[in-house]
Amino acid sequence: MPYILGIETSCDETAAAVVARGGEVLSSVVASQVSTHGKYGGVVPELASREHLRAIVPVVREAMEEAHASWADLSAIAATAGPGLVGSLLVGLTFAKGVSVVRRLPLIGVNHLEGHIHAVVLDARRTGEAIETPALALVASGGHTHLFLWPGGEHYRLLGKTRDDAAGEAYDKVAKLLGFSYPGGPVLDRLAEYGDADAVALPMAKMKGNPLDFSFSGLKTAVLRWVQSKNMEEEIARRRELLRCNPRPSVEEWLRVTPRATLDVIAAFQRIVVEELLKRVERAAEETGARAVIIAGGVACNAGLRRAAHSGRLSCPAYFPTPHLSTDNAAMIAAAAWPRFERGEFDDLSLKAQANLALA
Amino acid sequence: MRTRTFTTRSEEETIALAADLAREWTPPRCVLLIGNLGAGKTTFAKGVAEGLGAAPAEEISSPTFALIHEHGEGLLYHVDLYRLETEAEVASLGLEEILARQAVVLLEWAERFPRLLPEERVEVVIEPREDESRWIVVKELP
Repeated sequence: MPYILGIETSCDETAAAVVARGGEVLSSVVASQVSTHGKYGGVVPELASREHLRAIVPVVREAMEEAHASWADLSAIAATAGPGLVGSLLVGLTFAKGVSVVRRLPLIGVNHLEGHIHAVVLDARRTGEAIETPALALVASGGHTHLFLWPGGEHYRLLGKTRDDAAGEAYDKVAKLLGFSYPGGPVLDRLAEYGDADAVALPMAKMKGNPLDFSFSGLKTAVLRWVQSKNMEEEIARRRELLRCNPRPSVEEWLRVTPRATLDVIAAFQRIVVEELLKRVERAAEETGARAVIIAGGVACNAGLRRAAHSGRLSCPAYFPTPHLSTDNAAMIAAAAWPRFERGEFDDLSLKAQANLALA
Repeated sequence: MRTRTFTTRSEEETIALAADLAREWTPPRCVLLIGNLGAGKTTFAKGVAEGLGAAPAEEISSPTFALIHEHGEGLLYHVDLYRLETEAEVASLGLEEILARQAVVLLEWAERFPRLLPEERVEVVIEPREDESRWIVVKELP
C-alpha cells in the first residue's frame, strides 16, 4: 500500500499527515500557531519560522505514530513548495529534502492551492464518488481567492482572482475593526445568524474587465464607513476587554457585548461575501459547462457559504472538504502528490520554496 | 522637501497618476503609502507597478496576508505592515535589506514605525473624499 508523508508549513500551521493511495487519511496532525499569533491579528514571519522549527519534528513523529507507519512503509515524501511565507515554507521543504535523502524516498513539491483542491478530491477518491470534470475550483482563504477551471489531471486554468483583498482577509479586517478575534471568519459566520442582513445596505463590487475577478476592498470600506458613522468606541472596547479576559469567547459571550445593529451589519457583510463568491461560480459554471464545483480553503468552513452553495442555486453539485481539511493541513498535500507519484514525476533537491508560486 | 497635491476622480485616474509618479522614481526608492482602510493604497500600487513595467495592474493585490509581494523580478516590492505591532517584528521582516536593493519599495502602514524608515523617502498620503474623488499628497523627504 503506497503511503505518502505530506508536510505543510506555508503559513501558521505546522502539519504532517500520512495518506494511503491519495485517499485514505491514516493520520493528519496540525499544530496551529493561532494562539501565538492571535494577539497580532495575523502571522508574524520570524515568529512563524521559529514555531515551525520547534514543531516540525514532534508533528511528523505524531503523524507517523498515529498512522502506525514506519519510515520503510513510505513510498514518497511531499511538501508544500509555495505559495507562502518563504521562511516558513523552507522549514517543511528542507525537512522533506532531508528525509528524502536519508531514506532515499522520492520528493514531491506541491502547490498549496492545488493541495486545497485535493482536500476535496481526496474524499471523492476515498468514497469512490467521482467528481465530474471539467470542474470549477474556488480556493478562498486569508491569502487567496482564486477561481480555476480544472479539466481533470494536472493542469488548471485561472478564471479569476481577487484584485485587492482575499475573502478571508475581508473577514479578518472587518472582525478586527469591530473588535472581534482573529481569525475573523468563524466568529462572524456564527454571529451572522443572529442578525438581519436586510437591515443594512452594503454594496456589491462593481467590476470592470474580467467579470470573474473578485474584489472585497469596497465591502470592507463600506463596513468601516458604517462603523465610523456610529458611535461605537464603547461597544468595541467592551469586546476587546472580553478578549483580554478570555481569548476564546463563546457565541453567548459575544452576543452579550454585541448589540442588534452590529449583528445586522455582520449578517449583511456575510451575505455579500457569499453572494460575491457564488455569483462568479454560477457565471463560470454557465460559461464553461462545468459539471461540478469544488469549494476549498479556510473560507470553505463558512456555514453560510455551505448553506447557500447547497441551496440549489448552482447548476451543478458543490463539493466541500470535511471541515478539518478546509484549513491548512498536510493530508491535502499528500493527496495532491498522489497523481504525481503515480506518474513517477518527482522533484530533486534543487526544488525551491517560492513565495509567489502560481498554479496556472 | 517638495510637496505636490493632486486630485483624482476615479480608480483609473489614480492608477494613471501613480504610474506617472513611479516613472520619476529611480531605485533604490522607499515610498510610504499612507491612508486608512479603503483609501486606495492597493489601487495606487497598481499604478506604480504599471509605471515601472513590473506587473500589469490586475496582478497587484493586497499583501496583508503574505506581508511582502515581489513584482517584476525585484523591480518592485509591495510590503504591508498592517498586522505587525512592534519594531522587533518589523525588523524580522528584513526590511533594511529590501530597502537597500535596486528597487522601488512600497510600504503600507509603515508610518507607525518612523524609527525604521530611511530619511530619504517619498510619502504618498491618500485621502478619500465624500464624492469618491481622492486627494493625493506627494511629499519628497528630506
